[in-house]
Amino acid sequence: MNQSRILVVDDEPQIQRFLKPSLTAAGYEVVEAATGAEALKAVATQAPDLVILDLGLPDMDGKEVIASLRGWSDIPIVILSARDRESEKIAALDLGADDYIEKPFGIGELTARIRTALRNRGRRDAIPTVMEVDGLTIDPIKRLVSRDGETVHLTPKEYDLLLLLARHAGRVVTHRTLLTSVWGPAHGDDLHYLRVFIGQLRQKIERDPTQPRIVRTEPGVGYRMAEHE
Amino acid sequence: MADDDRRDDRRPDPDALLALADKDRRGKLTVFLGAAPGVGKTYAMLSRAKRLKADGLDVVVGLVETHGRSETAALLDGLEVLPRRRVAHRGRMLEEFDLDAALERRPRIVIVDELAHSNPEDSRHPKRHQDIEELISAGIDVWTALNIQHLESLADLVAQITGVTVRERVPDIVLKRADEVLLVDLAPSELIERLKDGKVYLPESATRAVDRFFRLGNLTALRELALRRTADRVDDQMVDYLKQNAIDGPWATGERLIVCVGSDPLSEKVVRVASRLASGLNAPWLVVSIERADREVETPERLQRIETLFRLAEQLGAETRRIIGNDFVEEILKLARREHATQIVIGTRKRSRWQKLVTRSLPDALASRASGLGVHIVTQDGAAADRVRPSMSLPRAKALRQSAIWALGFVALTTALGKGIDVFVQLPNISLLFLLAVLGASVVGGYAAAFLAAVLSALAYNFFFIDPRHTFTIAAPHEVFALFVFLAVAIIAGGLASRIREQAEVARIRATALQSLYDFSRKLASTGKGEDAIWLAVSQLQARLKRKVVLLVPRKGDLGVAAAWPPDAELDVTDMTAARWTHDKREPAGHGTGTLPNSRFEFRPLLGPHGIVGVCGIEHSGERLDLNAERALTAILDQTAIALDRARLADETVEQAARLEGERYREALLSSISHDLRTPLATITGAVTGLRQLGERMTPENRDDLLQSIEEESGRMSRFVANLLDMTRIEAGTLKPKQDWVDIADVVQSAVERTRKYAPGRIVETGIAADLPLIRGDSVLIGQVLFNLLDNAVKYGGDEPINVYARRDGKDVLISVTDHGKGIPPEDLDRIFEKFYRRGKPDGRSPGTGLGLSIARGFVEAMGGRIHAESPALKKRGTRVVMRFPGSEARGEIT
Repeated sequence: MNQSRILVVDDEPQIQRFLKPSLTAAGYEVVEAATGAEALKAVATQAPDLVILDLGLPDMDGKEVIASLRGWSDIPIVILSARDRESEKIAALDLGADDYIEKPFGIGELTARIRTALRNRGRRDAIPTVMEVDGLTIDPIKRLVSRDGETVHLTPKEYDLLLLLARHAGRVVTHRTLLTSVWGPAHGDDLHYLRVFIGQLRQKIERDPTQPRIVRTEPGVGYRMAEHE
Repeated sequence: MADDDRRDDRRPDPDALLALADKDRRGKLTVFLGAAPGVGKTYAMLSRAKRLKADGLDVVVGLVETHGRSETAALLDGLEVLPRRRVAHRGRMLEEFDLDAALERRPRIVIVDELAHSNPEDSRHPKRHQDIEELISAGIDVWTALNIQHLESLADLVAQITGVTVRERVPDIVLKRADEVLLVDLAPSELIERLKDGKVYLPESATRAVDRFFRLGNLTALRELALRRTADRVDDQMVDYLKQNAIDGPWATGERLIVCVGSDPLSEKVVRVASRLASGLNAPWLVVSIERADREVETPERLQRIETLFRLAEQLGAETRRIIGNDFVEEILKLARREHATQIVIGTRKRSRWQKLVTRSLPDALASRASGLGVHIVTQDGAAADRVRPSMSLPRAKALRQSAIWALGFVALTTALGKGIDVFVQLPNISLLFLLAVLGASVVGGYAAAFLAAVLSALAYNFFFIDPRHTFTIAAPHEVFALFVFLAVAIIAGGLASRIREQAEVARIRATALQSLYDFSRKLASTGKGEDAIWLAVSQLQARLKRKVVLLVPRKGDLGVAAAWPPDAELDVTDMTAARWTHDKREPAGHGTGTLPNSRFEFRPLLGPHGIVGVCGIEHSGERLDLNAERALTAILDQTAIALDRARLADETVEQAARLEGERYREALLSSISHDLRTPLATITGAVTGLRQLGERMTPENRDDLLQSIEEESGRMSRFVANLLDMTRIEAGTLKPKQDWVDIADVVQSAVERTRKYAPGRIVETGIAADLPLIRGDSVLIGQVLFNLLDNAVKYGGDEPINVYARRDGKDVLISVTDHGKGIPPEDLDRIFEKFYRRGKPDGRSPGTGLGLSIARGFVEAMGGRIHAESPALKKRGTRVVMRFPGSEARGEIT
């Protein structure tokens, strides 16, 4: 089995102490780093496939680590963060982190995030293919969306929004990313656009728009589309 | 200007609306106006009150004089009458209106009779209309009664008509501001009837004047005055209404009066005439006095007179202004143009034929140059003619003698010098030498000296140097001519020189005043704190005014003396009341004002850009401040107010910063607590889920390690929660330690064991003295304290051993815990006992909770012990925390 190598960056020994045996048991090779500097060095020398990064580090801010990593590497980054650090989390995602998980978390949840992030990385340069999720089919080549064989009529903006979420299926996409890619850089703060369009989109694509299963809300952060089947 | 208003401004005049809004917050004043006593004002007031009372309105009688008339007294039945204030006044007991009782009672409407009444000396206000003003400001409606002869602007007119001088006067502005004026009218013949029937009450002292006063002619004239005043008011109300509703009408007469006054007695008449003229024309009026720019000719008495006159004018509703200039006519005309005045009122003295020949009077000059302006000239009454002169000549006498001495001295010297020179050479122009004497005398002694020196020089020159010498006769006719030329030249030159001297002197005085003010403001600017500014201001004021000065600032809701100079100056109750009044109303109070004038101090508000910042009191010892001192006072107070305002803003900024700092601290605290709780929780959750989902794939050692980490983290969390709870108990004051006998050796032993269990690798050495007495306390709490101290030693002590010692010190027991870590900098030694203070890693995070030591202190102090820290403990390293408990000699009794 081709073991993926995971770099765990956390200064709390207790966290390292339970992550290492658990991730090893889940089939990953674990490399540890306790500071930002160590983390940057480990990425350069040990070529991990993914980084799990705690935002609170003794020597530098976790966001700085992301920024400098993104200068030369597109390695998937999953952030460990606290629930009360909303803005920090969003900033990290906007800086290029792939996903986040809130403390305290179960190992199952973490391994799911790791799998998605690793898979997405493999798919990043792939040619767009037809995607399917919960009975919804998105054909990016024909620009066609259908639900159980019936065509769903979407406005161009709704389609752009859906496609962006589908391309990052399984991962959170921040409000800002959605707004700037669909409406343009000037609309980064126009959250109300998003609320309205996501609502319309759900009316058209979800089986039960009051309990969305395809486009899920990540409160305060963004939206996450369910993984393709 | 008025035309512009009419054309452009169809919208309601905002000022008019604002004035109306201001009126709305205040109580309403209703004046029952009568032509003479006995017309039935009180009766009208009370019967109206009864009607409103019947309608359920809260009407209260503050003070009514029934003068024993039964019909009026009957009306008081069923009305609430406030008790009166009893005042001892010159050995008699007076019953006065109780202002505070009325304010306390706060009725909707209060009736206070006799608006023109003067209060006894120690009252808050000298005049009743001021009491009423306070009631109105407090939002209470007031009804009052007034006879027309008490109106200030009509005083001289009434005196002229009736021959009786009225002493109790009410400023016109009071009547003008009244919201409602009800005319109580009675035909004069009927009034005289009533008088004959004994229905009109008159004070004993006035009976003499009755016959003179209650004549048909007088009463008719007074009635006309009252009717006309009321009609004027109705007219004003109409104009107000038109203005408020932006109705275009013939209301703007556009007239504006400028009234020129001086310190002469005629000026008072000028003001009264102008007041009547202005109210007749319904025009605003401005009263001005002009001061020479180049001379300080005004004596304090004259300034005082002008000041009094200004007060009168203000009471009559005028604006007042002082202007400075040399050419009076030019200044007046300039002002008239600037103010868009249409008429000028000025007084003129009777002038002798000689005066008329030589100079033109000011009114004449004004009339000839004022094109397009109406000039009213008010003439003098015969009687008031020459009253002013003596007061002027007195201070001059001394100055004149001085001038004479200078003149004589200079001329004598010059004569001697001239004689001396004359011996050696024949000087053809010896008169030039005398010119020098005249200039000298004028520079040193002023104008009078110059003039005297000129005359004396002419005489001396003639006597000593013109042939025939030593006589006053002159032989050659051309010498006569030369002498006159000399005299003229000498007088003119002397006059000019003395004028230059005076100007220089004035300039010097003003420059000094300016310089000291400038110095003051510079010093003030360099003070940061309000307190420094206050002291600076007080000492500056004292130095400038040579009076006692106090400065009060509001502190915690009340006014307190912040500084006084001399420092022992004290305020009595009256002074403090006046000061508070000034602070509350932002108006001057105390000596020389309308409020509490029997205070020794005059209080003035210090008004900064953001409201009142303090009150300044100046003691008055008889004489008033002169104009220059007044100017300096105003300037200093203004600057101080600004400085205090700035200081207050600075204080607020500091407070704001402290609050922000506090907020940041709480935020850091919260995040630290949440971190301390979340990390063990995350570890436990992670380990448990890892074990459940991936357990079978792990090695037994890994599984065991995860289980152990769960145990450890649970312990950590429970310690933290226990600490938080302990802290809460200490802070809530619910901590009640038991008072058992405690054996320290036992407690130390169990705490050490607990520590060894949780930190197995660490060496803890104990040394316990054998003769330890028991102590009174709670063994569980002492154990917890010891454990907290040991926990800290484990965390911060490096890997070195930890020492615990317990020994006896006199009657006390000392317990110490010493580590050998890096130690604590001396500046932090006290802070380590603060809640959530922790010394940790550079990121501010540390293994501890920041509660251990503050809990330790809380527990120890609750048991009557003390705790402190020492660092370095030994060899520049380590920290020692020492507890001291009072020992007890009970060991023997128990064993």
